[in-house]
Amino acid sequence: MLKVEHIRKSFGKNVVLRDISFSLKKGEVLSIIGSSGSGKTTLLRCLNFLETPQHGKVSVGGETVFDSEDESSRKESEIRKHRLHFGLVFQNFNLFPQYTVIDNIILAPTLMAKEQLRQHGFCKGADNMKQAQRMIRETAETLLQKVGLSEKSDAYPGSLSGGQQQRVAIARALAMEPDILCFDEPTSALDPELTGEVLQVIRGLKNTETTMIVVTHEIGFARDVADRIIFMDDGLIEEEGTPQQVIDNPHSARTREFLARFKQFGD
Amino acid sequence: MDQFWNVTLTLLEGFTQNCTIFLLTLVMAIPLGILLSFGSMSKFFPLKGFVRAIVWAIRGTPLLLQLFVVFYIPSLVWDISFNRMTAAMIAFVINYAAYFSEIFRGGMEGISKGQYEAGQVLGMKKSQIFFRIILMQVIKRIVTPISNEIITLIKDTSLARVIMVPEMLKVSERFTVQGLIWPLFYTGVFFLLFNGVLTLLFSFMEKKLNYYKG
Repeated sequence: MLKVEHIRKSFGKNVVLRDISFSLKKGEVLSIIGSSGSGKTTLLRCLNFLETPQHGKVSVGGETVFDSEDESSRKESEIRKHRLHFGLVFQNFNLFPQYTVIDNIILAPTLMAKEQLRQHGFCKGADNMKQAQRMIRETAETLLQKVGLSEKSDAYPGSLSGGQQQRVAIARALAMEPDILCFDEPTSALDPELTGEVLQVIRGLKNTETTMIVVTHEIGFARDVADRIIFMDDGLIEEEGTPQQVIDNPHSARTREFLARFKQFGD
Repeated sequence: MDQFWNVTLTLLEGFTQNCTIFLLTLVMAIPLGILLSFGSMSKFFPLKGFVRAIVWAIRGTPLLLQLFVVFYIPSLVWDISFNRMTAAMIAFVINYAAYFSEIFRGGMEGISKGQYEAGQVLGMKKSQIFFRIILMQVIKRIVTPISNEIITLIKDTSLARVIMVPEMLKVSERFTVQGLIWPLFYTGVFFLLFNGVLTLLFSFMEKKLNYYKG
């Protein structure tokens, strides 16, 4: 489903990603772990077109969405066309404070539907805006139910707890129906007692066969949910395999060192 | 009583000048300020440097001096003369645009990068991100500083008297030299009432915008 080849990214003289290649099957959950500065967040940002790698190629379902050799894949219009293959849930939610929960979710799909109706005359089986809007709202309500926040539909993000905000952010990302949903340390900005509810939602998504990439510091969670784990160190994939391989029987000394620090604190 | 009405009418006549400067400055300085703020945030260094230098010079010198410069210099150097009101307008608009531009810039730069990125990853266009997500948050941030500037503006309009615009303070001086002191305080009442209305208006707007936190 996803194929990432030889991604390289540096900021000025600071090389963040040296040479990253991996692939992902449909419905698979990949967890990326590693210490701060290892490049895992930058990798996610590259996949979501928030950063442009200097080198490398990314394809989704056989379609090339980024190729550093091909100048046209850096164009704004091309990026917009391809970026919706990916969804991203941010560390600090980034909900839109002036919109209610439901409006946060339907804003982007509504704008997209308007554009598609104007260009093609139809959008996902709807041929007028009213119909499209009804469908979008229904989807949004279903998603809110899925993340357990139906009763907060008309609340503003500022009145929600961090955990609730992150669950809304997950629903908002899902509303665009991405092929691959990425999470950038989704629980790092939360109080410890709120991480459970967010992890629960991500766990629930795994059961619906959503393809996911989760950058996380929650080693226990990664072991639980991930089908595959990548341990990144200094811009390279140091170790890759099933949770049993990477977490329980790491081969690399760097991986062992990293995991030892977590075990010391009891996960 | 006759004297009271006489003074009231004369001051009102002067106050229309203040109000004219006030309204025209607002209408022109706000768009110009927005333009300047984009200039001062430009990635094109010469433009950014140029705009920031102008803003620095305008904010760093007295409005009084700027009024003198606009009114006297063109006629002395190039033999062009503006009428008094035009000169006052030019000075006021440029001066207030510089202040407004800094407020707009602060408002824009205060919005976290995450808001833009959230819009981007949801497939929104740059213009949609600006108008649907950023603008409202900027407005909420700048209402208080902008209202401070606007309240200062109506009071500043009386500076136009230095280039002989017959604004309210200028005309009330006529009474003072005749030995009549109270009209001077009376002018204060005009400003107080005007700003009272403005204050109510702004607090209403702030309350309206307080429907969300953040």
